[in-house]
Amino acid sequence: MYDLGIIGAGPAGYVAAERAGQNGLKVVLFEKKELGGVCLNEGCIPTKSLLYAAKIYEAAINGKKYGVLTTDASVDFKGMMKRKNATVKKLVGGVGSKMKHHKVEVVKGSATIHSKSNTHINIACNDQHYPCENILICTGSYAFLPPVEGLGPDTVMTNREILEITTAPEKLTIIGGGVIGSEFASFFNSIGTEVTVIEMMDEILSGMDLEISAVARKELDRRGITFHLRSRVTGVNGKKVQFEKEGETHESDGNAILCCVGRKPIVEGLGLEKLGVELFKGGVKIDEKCRTNIPNVYAAGDVTGFSLLAHTASREGEVVVNHILGKKDNMRYKAIPNVVYCNPEIAGVGYTEDEAKKYNIEFEVRKLPMTYAGRFIAENDSFSGICKILTGKKYNEIIGVHIVGNPASELIYGAAMAIEQEMTLEEMQEVVFPHPTVSEIFKETVFTSNI
Amino acid sequence: MAEPIIMPRQGQSVESCIITEWHKKKGEQIKKGDILFAYETDKASFEEESEHEGILLDIFFDDGDEVPVLTNVGVIGKEGESTDEYKPDKGAGTQDSASKDKELDETTPMEKESEEESAPYQQPDQETVRINDGKISPRAKRLANDKGLDYAQISGSGPEGRIIERDILHALDTTPKITAKAKKAMQEEEYSAPSEGSGLGGNITYSDLSASNNVYAEDHEVMPLSNIRKRIAKAMHASLQNSAQLTHHMSADARNILRLRKIAKKKSEEGYAYNITLNDMVCYAVIRALLKHPEANVHLIGDSMRQFKKIHLGLAVDTERGLMVPAIKNADDLSLTGLSSQLKAVVEACRKGNIDPDLLSGEAATFTVSNLGNYGVEMFTPVLNLPQAGILGVNTIIQRPAPLNDGSFGFVPYMGLSLTYDHRALDGGPATKLLAAIKTEIENFDITTLD
Repeated sequence: MYDLGIIGAGPAGYVAAERAGQNGLKVVLFEKKELGGVCLNEGCIPTKSLLYAAKIYEAAINGKKYGVLTTDASVDFKGMMKRKNATVKKLVGGVGSKMKHHKVEVVKGSATIHSKSNTHINIACNDQHYPCENILICTGSYAFLPPVEGLGPDTVMTNREILEITTAPEKLTIIGGGVIGSEFASFFNSIGTEVTVIEMMDEILSGMDLEISAVARKELDRRGITFHLRSRVTGVNGKKVQFEKEGETHESDGNAILCCVGRKPIVEGLGLEKLGVELFKGGVKIDEKCRTNIPNVYAAGDVTGFSLLAHTASREGEVVVNHILGKKDNMRYKAIPNVVYCNPEIAGVGYTEDEAKKYNIEFEVRKLPMTYAGRFIAENDSFSGICKILTGKKYNEIIGVHIVGNPASELIYGAAMAIEQEMTLEEMQEVVFPHPTVSEIFKETVFTSNI
Repeated sequence: MAEPIIMPRQGQSVESCIITEWHKKKGEQIKKGDILFAYETDKASFEEESEHEGILLDIFFDDGDEVPVLTNVGVIGKEGESTDEYKPDKGAGTQDSASKDKELDETTPMEKESEEESAPYQQPDQETVRINDGKISPRAKRLANDKGLDYAQISGSGPEGRIIERDILHALDTTPKITAKAKKAMQEEEYSAPSEGSGLGGNITYSDLSASNNVYAEDHEVMPLSNIRKRIAKAMHASLQNSAQLTHHMSADARNILRLRKIAKKKSEEGYAYNITLNDMVCYAVIRALLKHPEANVHLIGDSMRQFKKIHLGLAVDTERGLMVPAIKNADDLSLTGLSSQLKAVVEACRKGNIDPDLLSGEAATFTVSNLGNYGVEMFTPVLNLPQAGILGVNTIIQRPAPLNDGSFGFVPYMGLSLTYDHRALDGGPATKLLAAIKTEIENFDITTLD
């Protein structure tokens, strides 16, 4: 009998397995593909490797402004992909040895819920049964392909396929200007591909602060990406994408199409119906302890259908384990950072201005160009970026921080800590920031007055 | 000659009152009959009118202060007169009184506490621990307020369970951290902190104060209970916990009293001094029935029973401040008209808030009537007003099919009667007999009693 059976070895599953193993629980972890899930194999990590390579290339060709002259700087796409694959391999291997270290039994194969008894739930995998006292469902999500004529696996790529191509397309059409679309757009734009992004909403990067997204889009636009906002894709014909924009029909032609309009929870084929697990908006419904409606059955990560982020998933996995161990813990979603690794990077945590208005929160806004931080000027030649801090009007507590400008991704955790702790402006003003760093932008911003 | 303003004694059982609001300021000109301040006991609220003319020379207590009765709360006199001789004797009696008054607190001897502090902290002995009844040293209180600690739930280790500084220090050590926002909120509003938080490491966050689920928005505010609400809560809970109550239901043919009510109404419209209501008639019937069944006209106290020779009738009155149950003393001596006018008088006094608090105690009445008929209630289980052993719930009148005198069936108005009795004091037989007697009295109500 296992204390915990985990279906899916992504960031929710392997982190939960690691924590449970650390605490002496007997754990079995099922994975039908590779350890690490989408994040390690076809999402977060490989794209970061590629985006960094693109950044080096950009730095090389723009070195002149900084007094660095290069000749013959060019893109070795195969080399970039090789480096990416090595990064992935190293990390997946790392997860494997962690599992071994914490005595987690890893089973490769498709697991399904077989049956439930009074004392345990049976998971079936490779014709074998694994009785588990608790189970964690973290099967993740898949890239959703919208029902558009001509759009299908043979005409468009998703994040998975595009990470396996061997040559960079000359012209790439991206359907969907969300986080995934924008990151691929930024990468391919940096290495010289002509990129067109078709987005249905008024602005790219839905969910991020609107103003920040607009500043980022303008910079990406300046770098040569073509954006079509408020545009609805009506058909795909070979490598051509037809779309409607302001009542007119347009077409984007190219060598490749990437479709990233959203992801859906994987809830089919698991036998959830045998337990009667309740779903909500297509995902497994959970409470603040990540419990489903069925006792001893937990869910975490993308399969819940909201906050589709690796770091949300791992934290949820930890909450599950703590709950099983009888430790007091609960999931909080108010301080989960959102990061987009375009060049320039975008990061935000807490309420956006629109959300704060929607929830009728009275707030103040403080805002400065990133160039108020000396180090930012030293390292950024042409783009100025923004740091924006939202505070509650009554108590001055920090409720949202949004940044566009490098290295936003590495700064945002400080803001997440402040929001978790409901820190006030006055408290932030007392924090000492190292000089000179880009992080000093927080210090500068909390001392400016409300606009 | 200056005249003191004295906190009146409202009933024998009242030891102290809280000043809810001063209507006059120090230095203001006062006329006879001016309202000086409003104050309340745990049962009712009052306004104090000035008996003197002059200038309000001094005020010794502020809004919210609890003042022992017959204490000077201020002085009225001529400009320039000294008020010193009227200042309340601040040295005496403060150790024992539960006074929350700041000035009184400050005079508590400090030396004693310092001695206590030098001893190592010991958790108060479980058996002697009492949740403090407001006894807290001024130093402890100041520290608790500064740190935003709710000391109501702390057990005191000082003499007689008094909370002293080390109790607060210990509580601060063992309670989770409170975030800056939550602290501000607690200082500005009447929030209290739970013993466990949902923030980082169990920290108490703002959302814990309002106890709302942090995944969702704050959906309620926390309001301290009014004194009368606290009293009702305590009495109702005690009633259900400390008795063996159950309810019998019966209906009375209401044709007779409805006819009488019509006559009474007409008489009143024609200028008769009394307007006898259905409730008056039901109360009168209850008194008649109780005279025949005195076994329900009792108080059960411990192992003995008080058998009353007189009937003191309680009436549940719904007021803006909450439920009040005033007693009509010696109700069996009253004629129907006498009862009617006394009922009107007590209802009015309750609604105005100037009812004699002694009439509100459970011991003041021997039996209670609670009439929800006007509200359309068809059946309910009234809660006993201990130590009384019976309460009659009067329900709305419903048309029910019943055999008529001529052998045919027709609709007859029936009034529902719900008698809750304490089975410790009374068995089902006598209780039913009483209920049947009430029914009979209602059905055979005599027209002549109207005069």
